[in-house]
Amino acid sequence: MKLSVFGYELVIPTDIIAAWVSVILIGIVAGYIIIKKRKLGVVWDYMKTTNHRKIGILYLLFGIIYFFRAGVDALLIRTQLAVPNNDFWVFQGEKYNELFTTHGTLMIFFVAMPLLLGLMNIAVPLQIGAKDLAFPFLNSLGFWLFFAGSLFFNIAFFLNLTPEVGWTGYAPLSRAEFTPGAGTEFYVFGLQISGLGTIFTALNLIVTIIRHRAPGMSYTRMPLFAWASLITSFLILIAFTVLAIALYLLMFDRLFGTGFFSGDEGDPVFWQHLFWIFGHPEVYILALPAFGIFSDIISTFSKKRIFGYGTMVASIVLIGFLGFMVWVHHMFTVGLGPVVNTFFAITTMAIAIPTGIKVFNWLFTMRGGVIHFTTPMLFALGFIPSFVIGGVTGVMLSLSAADFQFHDTHFVVAHFHYVIIASTILGVFAGLYYWYPKITGYMLDEKLGKWHFWTFLIGYHITFFPMHITGLEGMPRRVYTYSEADGIFILNAISTVGAFLMGISMLFVIWNVYKTHKKKKKVSGDPWDGRTLEWTVSSPAPEHTFEPMPVIHSMDAYWYAKVKNKPLPATTNVRVKPLERDSIQPFCIAMSLFIVSTGLTFRWYWLAILGGVMLFALLILRSITDEREDFYGKSDDHA
Amino acid sequence: MERVMIMRKQEAELFQDKKVGFFIYLGVEAVMFAVLFATYMIFTPAGSGPYPSDVFQAEMVLLSSLFLLSSSVTLYVAEKGIQARKGKKTLLSLGLTLGLAIVFLGLESYEFYTFVQEGYGLSTSVFLSSFYVLVGLHAAHVTFGIGWMIVLFIHYVRPNVSYSLYKEKQTIFSYYWHFVDCIWVFIILIVYLPYLV
Amino acid sequence: MKKVFLLSLVLLLTGCNITVLDPKSETASEQAFLITFSFWIMMIVVVTVFILFARFVWKYRYTNSRKHILPKDVKGNIKLEITWIIIPVLLLIILAVPTLAITYDQSPEWTKESEDAGIEIDVTGKQFNWLFRHRNGKEEMDKLVIPEGESIILNLRSEDVIHSFWVPELGGKVDVMPGKELTYEIKHPQRGTYQGKCAEYCGLGHTDMTFQVEVVSTQAYAQYLHQ
Repeated sequence: MKLSVFGYELVIPTDIIAAWVSVILIGIVAGYIIIKKRKLGVVWDYMKTTNHRKIGILYLLFGIIYFFRAGVDALLIRTQLAVPNNDFWVFQGEKYNELFTTHGTLMIFFVAMPLLLGLMNIAVPLQIGAKDLAFPFLNSLGFWLFFAGSLFFNIAFFLNLTPEVGWTGYAPLSRAEFTPGAGTEFYVFGLQISGLGTIFTALNLIVTIIRHRAPGMSYTRMPLFAWASLITSFLILIAFTVLAIALYLLMFDRLFGTGFFSGDEGDPVFWQHLFWIFGHPEVYILALPAFGIFSDIISTFSKKRIFGYGTMVASIVLIGFLGFMVWVHHMFTVGLGPVVNTFFAITTMAIAIPTGIKVFNWLFTMRGGVIHFTTPMLFALGFIPSFVIGGVTGVMLSLSAADFQFHDTHFVVAHFHYVIIASTILGVFAGLYYWYPKITGYMLDEKLGKWHFWTFLIGYHITFFPMHITGLEGMPRRVYTYSEADGIFILNAISTVGAFLMGISMLFVIWNVYKTHKKKKKVSGDPWDGRTLEWTVSSPAPEHTFEPMPVIHSMDAYWYAKVKNKPLPATTNVRVKPLERDSIQPFCIAMSLFIVSTGLTFRWYWLAILGGVMLFALLILRSITDEREDFYGKSDDHA
Repeated sequence: MERVMIMRKQEAELFQDKKVGFFIYLGVEAVMFAVLFATYMIFTPAGSGPYPSDVFQAEMVLLSSLFLLSSSVTLYVAEKGIQARKGKKTLLSLGLTLGLAIVFLGLESYEFYTFVQEGYGLSTSVFLSSFYVLVGLHAAHVTFGIGWMIVLFIHYVRPNVSYSLYKEKQTIFSYYWHFVDCIWVFIILIVYLPYLV
Repeated sequence: MKKVFLLSLVLLLTGCNITVLDPKSETASEQAFLITFSFWIMMIVVVTVFILFARFVWKYRYTNSRKHILPKDVKGNIKLEITWIIIPVLLLIILAVPTLAITYDQSPEWTKESEDAGIEIDVTGKQFNWLFRHRNGKEEMDKLVIPEGESIILNLRSEDVIHSFWVPELGGKVDVMPGKELTYEIKHPQRGTYQGKCAEYCGLGHTDMTFQVEVVSTQAYAQYLHQ
């Protein structure tokens, strides 16, 4: 669309206009509701909060918002690919490239990560008997950094500056000579800031799990979700740090003329190494917490203790460890030679073993149990066969010579959507239905939940199964169209139908949430007849939990207490809880980094410096308003 | 008396949380520098551009190392001072640490300045790029540490900060500073030494 | 879901007219073999899990008669758990052997010595075209003509970003890197016309960065070189 403003010819693509209009409309409606219902106070409260449940809610809320945006991107991709030689709206060439870049980046960094971190934030402290995360201020800072990064990345689209380098940002395409616009900067800084937040939250979770468990909650009694969160957090610390440095180097390449990833003096493959040393563990960062959720849910709704707890924990640890030794299987075609390729082929295959252990242990947990088909359990059940399909295609991909064919085709697209949706997305849905009472005090409607489950699961298989075949038919990734002669029209059309079915299934979620909050039917603290500690506190989880503190004598202690019809033993002699005080500082610190990034992106260095000064001023402010000062009391003599 | 005992126990618990958290953070920093060291080793010496031994000056490295590494010693004295509740000793050696750090930073800036003067800038070659992003990040850590020390002085005089809290703050800082020094040792061993001997 | 799976299984069984599984060169045949072989091995796993899954879910489902049952706790079973460690290990070993053999066989370095036995062609990728340069200096854009039955050695290089050379019928991908030459060998292609494409996202024109491959008789190739 062409506009004439003050004599300037402005060309604004219609998709951008549509986005502006819809966001402004949604903003007006949201603003109206907030002001009409006098909820501004609630917004302010959440901006300042350091409570783990509230921060978890924020993570989930934004994760879901971005899920819808990235989902719409997916639908646009599928619409463009529905028929051969399609010319849908503006989504060919550049716009299509922007579309898959946004879809991938959002789904990994701004959907899967916050949804999982949100669930960890809410459930882990409750499961292990911690009163909050170890560092509440840092927790809030972690969220707001994620928020600032995600906001920064999302804004790019509205300025028509969407990055178009793919979510993997392969160099030298991502270097300034080939993508000179500011778009890629949004990718670099968006991920950098939110990655920093993720590192902080992971650190926080580790300290919480190591130091804040209830008395008697030994590592051998800890719920598997807590175990998975612990291992995941360690993976985050290493993987996201490597990514941070990769982005740091890319920033120098783009902004200050260095040549790390250039074809002449540097090494483009170095970027791929760094990216996948992050990227492959990232897959396990997404999958392991979901495994934990499924373990807890399958055990709860089979009314039976998890089968082979020891091997379950060991396999989580092993997967985490092996996760760092397989990254080259993303790079079989870059010419590293047969020795390297086969080595990584074998380590990749090896991951199938601990994963297999987990699958069989889940199956044998159900064996002999009484399986209740609640919505969370349905998601867990849907996960097992779906994940196995994704897992076996994973093994097929690991065979390096076969991967020469599979690599970068829709077969790969099918594979990673199979594993990530089966584990992370189904896991998050399962977790949301499961812990919704703990988060809000209400129970989501079971009937609508089941509708959601079936439409989503069927849509998911219809979408991604045909992609295995289109890939083998020779359809590469990241192409915006294909010809009739390619013979893949029907399969692509089926995929598109499936994608829209998944889209429809999400409408059930919206309806369900609306209905649930309309009804306002409160539930008890233990609506699922649960096994772990989070079900001993009331729903929603109050700000001050575990008073008095339960003492744990076995795993699933709450369940066995209920079986024996005795209350859990409790004590008041506990360690001091984390100090917390509401503060708007985390939000401001994150925003100062947002300003720095804006300055660097547009080369307005004065703004970057201003943001930097703001950042350091805020850090000093933070240091002199430390909540420990009140707790430790006034100064005695310094001498 | 019992209240004081409880207080001490609680403070110890909170401080232990902090310590564990901070050590994990230092682990993150270590990974970060490890990747940068790897980058340096991959790209040095570069296929084109100056050879490292033509760029580096041994005297400069020696001099700045002397200042930075001795600052770890003075900080150690400050730690002893705070343990023994000797205010003067603490402040003096902390001040000395600060001074040494500032001199180090000055020397390093001068080193960078001379390099650039000689035409060895950031984008001259991949070797120099990886040198600057690594050593520059270390310098940024030193700068941050200088700011941190200044804030520590402010805390020392603020009436709201109790002695035990101040002690914790200084202890955490000293972990940071020793870590930054330790990275410098690796910089000497990996960045400079192979091309100066 | 299972229906979709079965349906496509039937498809795989009956119609081997899927491009990659209908190879037109020795290189691609080896890859197709590996793909089908691993598919069947993996089907063992899939079928086992699906049967156990269906049986357990059905047999142990909640019913009114089982309402008051309190399931007996099973902590684990070492024998069973070892079983599902050993069997996957065996399956993976069965897979690893041909993988190793074929990967070594198909990797550029491995084939260096046989270079003189093949037809060498320089391939240059650039946004968004392919340039093929034959031994006698003949160049053609976006069209690769090669003789059947020979061993074709490709030396690939990029002028800008990373591309990836792929002719599904004739062999797997090999990346086309800037600043580094990679070698790939296509063994014994069969006569025919195929479409080649860029398989590594390389920017705006990535989708259209295709080329044509014509495998012709040796005489026709000789003629082509002197056209």
